[in-house]
Amino acid sequence: MPTIRFLPDDRSIFVPAGSTILVAARQGGVTIEAPCNGAGSCGKCRVLVTERDLASLRLPDGSGPFDAGEGISAVLACHAEVLGDLTVTVPERKEAGLKIASHGVRGDVTLRPYVVKRYDPDRHETSILAGDELLAVEQGDISAECFGLVVDIGTTTLVAALMDLEDGRELATASALNPQSLHAQDVLSRIRFASTPDGLEEMRGSVVEEINRLIASVVAQVGVARERVYEAVLAGNTTMIHLACGVDPASLGKYPYTVEFTGGCHRSAAETGVAIAPAGLVYLPPAISAYVGADITAGILATQLHSEEGTTLLVDIGTNGEMAIVKDGRLWATSTAAGPAFEGMNIACGMRAGKGAIERFHVRENGEVEIGVIGGGEATGICGSGLIDIVAELVREGVIGPNGRFVNTERVSLPSTLRERLVTISGKPAFHLADDVHLSQQDIRQVQLAKGAIRAGIDLLLRHLGVEAGEVRSVLIAGSFGYHLRAESLISLGLLPSEFDGKIEFVGNTSKTGAEAILLDRECRPEMVRLVAGVEVVELAAIEGFDKAFVASLKF
Amino acid sequence: MSEVKEKLFKELAAAVVDMDEDKAVATAEAVVAAKIDAYEAIEKGLSAGMERAGELFDEEEYFIPELLMCSDAMYAGMDVLKPHIRQDAVAEKRRVVIGVIEGDTHDIGKNLVKIMLETSGFDVTDLGRDIPPARFVDTAREIDADIIALSTLMTTTMDGMGEVVRQLNAEGIRDSFKVIVGGGPISQGFADRIGADGYAVNAADAVRLARRLTAAEAVAA
Repeated sequence: MPTIRFLPDDRSIFVPAGSTILVAARQGGVTIEAPCNGAGSCGKCRVLVTERDLASLRLPDGSGPFDAGEGISAVLACHAEVLGDLTVTVPERKEAGLKIASHGVRGDVTLRPYVVKRYDPDRHETSILAGDELLAVEQGDISAECFGLVVDIGTTTLVAALMDLEDGRELATASALNPQSLHAQDVLSRIRFASTPDGLEEMRGSVVEEINRLIASVVAQVGVARERVYEAVLAGNTTMIHLACGVDPASLGKYPYTVEFTGGCHRSAAETGVAIAPAGLVYLPPAISAYVGADITAGILATQLHSEEGTTLLVDIGTNGEMAIVKDGRLWATSTAAGPAFEGMNIACGMRAGKGAIERFHVRENGEVEIGVIGGGEATGICGSGLIDIVAELVREGVIGPNGRFVNTERVSLPSTLRERLVTISGKPAFHLADDVHLSQQDIRQVQLAKGAIRAGIDLLLRHLGVEAGEVRSVLIAGSFGYHLRAESLISLGLLPSEFDGKIEFVGNTSKTGAEAILLDRECRPEMVRLVAGVEVVELAAIEGFDKAFVASLKF
Repeated sequence: MSEVKEKLFKELAAAVVDMDEDKAVATAEAVVAAKIDAYEAIEKGLSAGMERAGELFDEEEYFIPELLMCSDAMYAGMDVLKPHIRQDAVAEKRRVVIGVIEGDTHDIGKNLVKIMLETSGFDVTDLGRDIPPARFVDTAREIDADIIALSTLMTTTMDGMGEVVRQLNAEGIRDSFKVIVGGGPISQGFADRIGADGYAVNAADAVRLARRLTAAEAVAA
């Protein structure tokens, strides 16, 4: 059996000849980021080998070798098959300083927690009650120490907050990457990964382990014992909640997309493996559908969408473009396959919102270009908000035509500051942003597809309700990503109708703030279950004219 | 070829490339009035225009809306010419069964491929979306298809494509059809793994692939 030595971990693993490097790495506990889970489409699992070691690999079409300079070649770990001994170097991941929004709006909340403590001075003991049930009895008066936890399980990032159930204050927060994304980037790849019992356990185990690390971090920040944390509320999209609870998500990945586990209930902390008090409880808010999850339920609650007057729209601009709309007290919800472009995936120089990512772009009146980079240093890539800004500004300046094509500079006159940035890379037009960072024609196409899907969703939802865009009173943009966006860019891009100008409000991570409301006020829970039952889920694909609306929405 | 004929064919092609439905109809009417062979006009005029549109798509000059508008012009011209096709002039068309695999309802990509194949002279049977593997196999056998074209947008349903190939093998009719695959999560590597005959990255590429595979088949036969 060939031996693979992985650097920089310096771990050696035997594998049967013909195994892929990725399989070998997973067996040996070496992490190689493979967001598309080996489909060979994302190109992010590149690893480095010396030219001499190339002879020990079989490389199917498209998997390399790619010249990495100085006698080193890059190959796709998911496809390269190991035939003989070799050494593989796993490049360092460039995710330093990842920007994760943990704040958002939240309406007023009455403090009525589900878990309460009663001290009995006669017996000198404290009873811990959950609803009407006795959770535990502890010695002494510990009635002042009653804590709860909320966790927003995002597809990309996790955010946890420790809350004081006595006064409703947020005591500490912590965030991390969702470790599942190392194996599979998007929701569907994760459902596929979890299609075997081992895969499901890997998905469940890794996210619970990371949640427990976040719990350790928040309790340590304020010196609270984790045994005094009695309830945790987990919000996230439907797939994330299935995976965190170890429920097989297979039905979510196939039409008719039935939901196996709808939530709206408790599980014991011990059963879920969430490391709070052993007798503690985990509450899972109700999901609306397979693609409109408990994160949106929490978002509706946080923004009090259901009690808004007139027509208000809530949109989460992400891979699944979830949206909910209220009109005269009634709720509708839908989701749309925007794809991962806004996460920087499938973009030539795309990256997540970490250090070095271009997050802002502006063309001044004199034609000068302003570029904002996270961390302030040299730009190494483009993140979602940067991508939206760049394309929106270039459309506004006429560098990109209404058809999404870079204009022909021989026919259209542009300020020299912009014209000189229009370059040709590998024979195709591109816009130069920094050394090694550019926007390609293909990137614009990806943006068109993503924004087209969301815009078509909005247009059809409005049409379904018989509402004109101008009649919408306010538009709430949710999601941690949403916070970094600019309203004018969303309109220049056509992702939102121009009638929404002046009505757009960024509400932040409402999945988390909604979960806080749920944690602090037990009365929210039955209200939410009722609310979810009354939401009408709109299947866009089933609506006549979705194709047409989508194609029409591709234009700028 | 007479000069008039050549000029009209060029104009038909240009009408398609320029997405000009009115011009496509007017030129097609001129073709009919001049008693020029309608089938040849479709082949050398409208289809040639669609082929050029496909090239422009590849060159990233055109995108999905342009491609659809070109096909609208093509269909408008076809509607005029079709009633005038002499039956003896019609060459046997290559037949394609297309559909979105079971479990998936996203069909915009499939519809685009269907349009491109149709406008390139293939006879396309569209099964629609959420189609079980067995129906592809049964329909392909029924209509004696040359190609089975499978589409999906979802990672979770792509294994159904491999199932189509397995069923063809199990029934001993794998060699009777070419299987081509495409869609968001699909790659050449995936196509190789499941034993498909080809992968197309987009609708224009699908036409080239279908042509290449059926041409190879003709040579082999």
